[in-house]
Amino acid sequence: MNWDDDSIHRWLEPLAGREGDLAEVFGETLTETCLEWRDGEVREARVRREQGTSARWRRGGSEQFASVAGSDDAAVREAVRALRASAGREPLPIRSSRGAPAGAAEIGFPAADRATKRLSAIFARHAPRHAFTLRLRESERRVVSAGRPASAATRRLLSLEGRFTAASRAGDEDRLFAFHVPVSDAALDELKTALAAAAAPRDRPVPVPPGEADAILAKGCAAVLFHEILAHPLEADAGVSPLRCLPEARVAVSDLEVVDDARRLDLFGGYERDDEGTAPRPVKLVASGLVGSRLTDRGHAPASGSTGHGRRSGPAEPPLPRGSNVVVSAGSTDPEEMLRRLGNGIWIEEFLGGSIEIASGTFRLRFPRARRVRRGRFADELGAGVLAGELLPALEAIEPALGREVHACRSLGWCARAGQVVPVGGAAPDLLIRRLGVRPDL
Amino acid sequence: MTGDDLEALLGQRAPGQWELYRKSAETREIDASAAFKRAAWRREEGWAARWWEAGAPRFAAASGPDALALAVPEAARIAVATEAPPEWPSKTAALAAGTAVDPPPELFEDLSRAVAAASRGEAVLAGLRLRRGRADERIVNAAGLDVAQEHRILDGVALCVARRLGRAREVRVPFRWDAEPEIETLARRLSDAATLPLSDRPAPFSRGQWLLDPAVGASLLGALAPLFLDRPPKWLVREKMAGPLVGVADDASRDAAFDGEGVATRRMLLVEEGALVGRLHDLSSARRAGGLSTGHGVRPSFRVPPLLGPRRIFFETKSPSPPAALLSAITKGLFASALTAPPRMDLAANRYEIEFTGVSIVAGRAQGPVAGARARGRVSELLRRIAGLSTDLQFFPSPFLVGSPTVYIERASFE
Repeated sequence: MNWDDDSIHRWLEPLAGREGDLAEVFGETLTETCLEWRDGEVREARVRREQGTSARWRRGGSEQFASVAGSDDAAVREAVRALRASAGREPLPIRSSRGAPAGAAEIGFPAADRATKRLSAIFARHAPRHAFTLRLRESERRVVSAGRPASAATRRLLSLEGRFTAASRAGDEDRLFAFHVPVSDAALDELKTALAAAAAPRDRPVPVPPGEADAILAKGCAAVLFHEILAHPLEADAGVSPLRCLPEARVAVSDLEVVDDARRLDLFGGYERDDEGTAPRPVKLVASGLVGSRLTDRGHAPASGSTGHGRRSGPAEPPLPRGSNVVVSAGSTDPEEMLRRLGNGIWIEEFLGGSIEIASGTFRLRFPRARRVRRGRFADELGAGVLAGELLPALEAIEPALGREVHACRSLGWCARAGQVVPVGGAAPDLLIRRLGVRPDL
Repeated sequence: MTGDDLEALLGQRAPGQWELYRKSAETREIDASAAFKRAAWRREEGWAARWWEAGAPRFAAASGPDALALAVPEAARIAVATEAPPEWPSKTAALAAGTAVDPPPELFEDLSRAVAAASRGEAVLAGLRLRRGRADERIVNAAGLDVAQEHRILDGVALCVARRLGRAREVRVPFRWDAEPEIETLARRLSDAATLPLSDRPAPFSRGQWLLDPAVGASLLGALAPLFLDRPPKWLVREKMAGPLVGVADDASRDAAFDGEGVATRRMLLVEEGALVGRLHDLSSARRAGGLSTGHGVRPSFRVPPLLGPRRIFFETKSPSPPAALLSAITKGLFASALTAPPRMDLAANRYEIEFTGVSIVAGRAQGPVAGARARGRVSELLRRIAGLSTDLQFFPSPFLVGSPTVYIERASFE
């Protein structure tokens, strides 16, 4: 985006005359390659190139927002002009665009066809019968705010979702698979390892027995639990939740440390600047078992300023305070000790998704399969189920036995709230939690 | 780069096998809560091309014609399996110049009062996002199609929180109004969905009759919609798919003259007197089935190619009953007022699960609220047990429009 930042600053300054005023311009250039794979062949290739610009002016409890297609100089002018008109200011003089022509940005995904060949080989080896959707996304975002230096950030993401047929000991079996990772040299190797593990032969599952169960959330999937029960309730614009009434209260064992850390660029939800141009800082959601801080954007920040969690799905939406990467600190318990402490219960390695109702704190997490544990040993395979509970009792039910190793949770990828979908990630050690409600899924 | 240039570019890459779509939209939105108000204006432009190059389907989308010209060769570079192209429609229809979009009405205060009254002060409107907009679409293709049409919307999302004795419940209700705002109806939906789960009463019966509010009936039909898009599952008996009073149709002719592929919109009868009689097609599925498109190539956004889907699907019956008559027919059962989770449907395995809140009914009279109940079982049995449809048809966004009146199911199992 070839913007004249000085001019934009000049246009915005008159709108930010009072303390606490917020005036900014946000632009995005996005390229996404989406491939629909069926049984070793790409059946459909889709490429999207999109540019958008929005301008926002906030004063007290009132906000004006304007968004337009394009990210060149003319688009910036149109968005700012709409904003200034709504503020009763003189409109900007209309000039012809002098920025780069729309769509001519040097953004793109030259690696898409290389990745396609490599992925074809991985799928052929580990999951030859499949229906996968691959998304390779690159976005460049730029923010110019009154009274602050301009900022820009680029992010490249790879997201694979779908199902495949695995040859299990009891015959063919349909399995779901999701893998979300920032693009790096190691991303496809990691994907290969994850797919091979997901395709490993297993016994035929039996239905999950309904009732209460103790559970070990393994292989990083505890990040999904904390994303739901900590990150969402502590987003600064969330309604009143059970956590909101307990600032700095003890809610869990002192071993539990949970941080939302957008600086972890190796995880799917990481970024160097948020969508308001603020450098993110890690926010302790639970510190030594005590309720931590809220995730804020500029519109909901206390005097100490935004924590760098103002995020938006795209230029047509205003930013909201949102979680990024939920990271849980390691403990000192090895897997055998975890199983011994569990005794009888279930072992879960993956969640397909989750939800929480903020006001009551009730949550539910869907898992595709689990493993029954009897007397500290793995027993039969269990089918799909739903784990449900309430926020505070669930936090209290976490045992002071956290695994030694922190695993990235690659199945955690996209989070939807208020119609906006943003990338999120997480990493967690194995975790033992008591007395959660469990029932079979369809 | 202009639309003509793009047509020429596509014509060179895929002679006779291309389609170009353009959308320009303007929306105005008011997002309000007790302490905050945001007024938003959006101008969206979208371009999308679909073409068969070397026998393989490609798709590219962009926010402008220049960007689309760059995206087209990128999409063409990837090796894609070949597939026969569809039979492209050919028709022309011009669009009259549209008018500007006014801001939506400011209804937060009115709806707040209505929610407070409907819930006797237990529920509070926490937020209301109301959007008014128009979108102009133009679709051209290699077969000579050139159609243009306009869509107008007034829709939104309301957020409501209810509290009672330390318990709380939050609900988010999307809505769409085809004409004037229906504040009282929306307030009642919000109030019921937020306050009924606060009672501590579970379902008093493990089985009985089941009455579905139109909103619940619409969610059920929305979850069943895939039955009309593909080959029916093995368990489905075409002649006895549902109870004999049940009809299902899809008719979006009041919304738009054409679908997202430029095929004329028409009414499609899908279920008649309980028998499955029709199926929806877009261009691709029609080619595979050896038939014609029914006008159900849906473009939820310019960013994705047209998808086969319902557009305005609804229950209908030749013998509707007033809602009061259906209520009085219940000897022992539950009225499902609102869902507490999205309906779960495994159509291949013939299983469903619906979690809801509502009211218990004995001898046609309400006995008291039911905080939460779960109905689960076979989809085939659920459909065949639909024994009555009412006269109060209402439409809900889900994301396609789904219409349902009050639905009476003669037997269900509850947990």
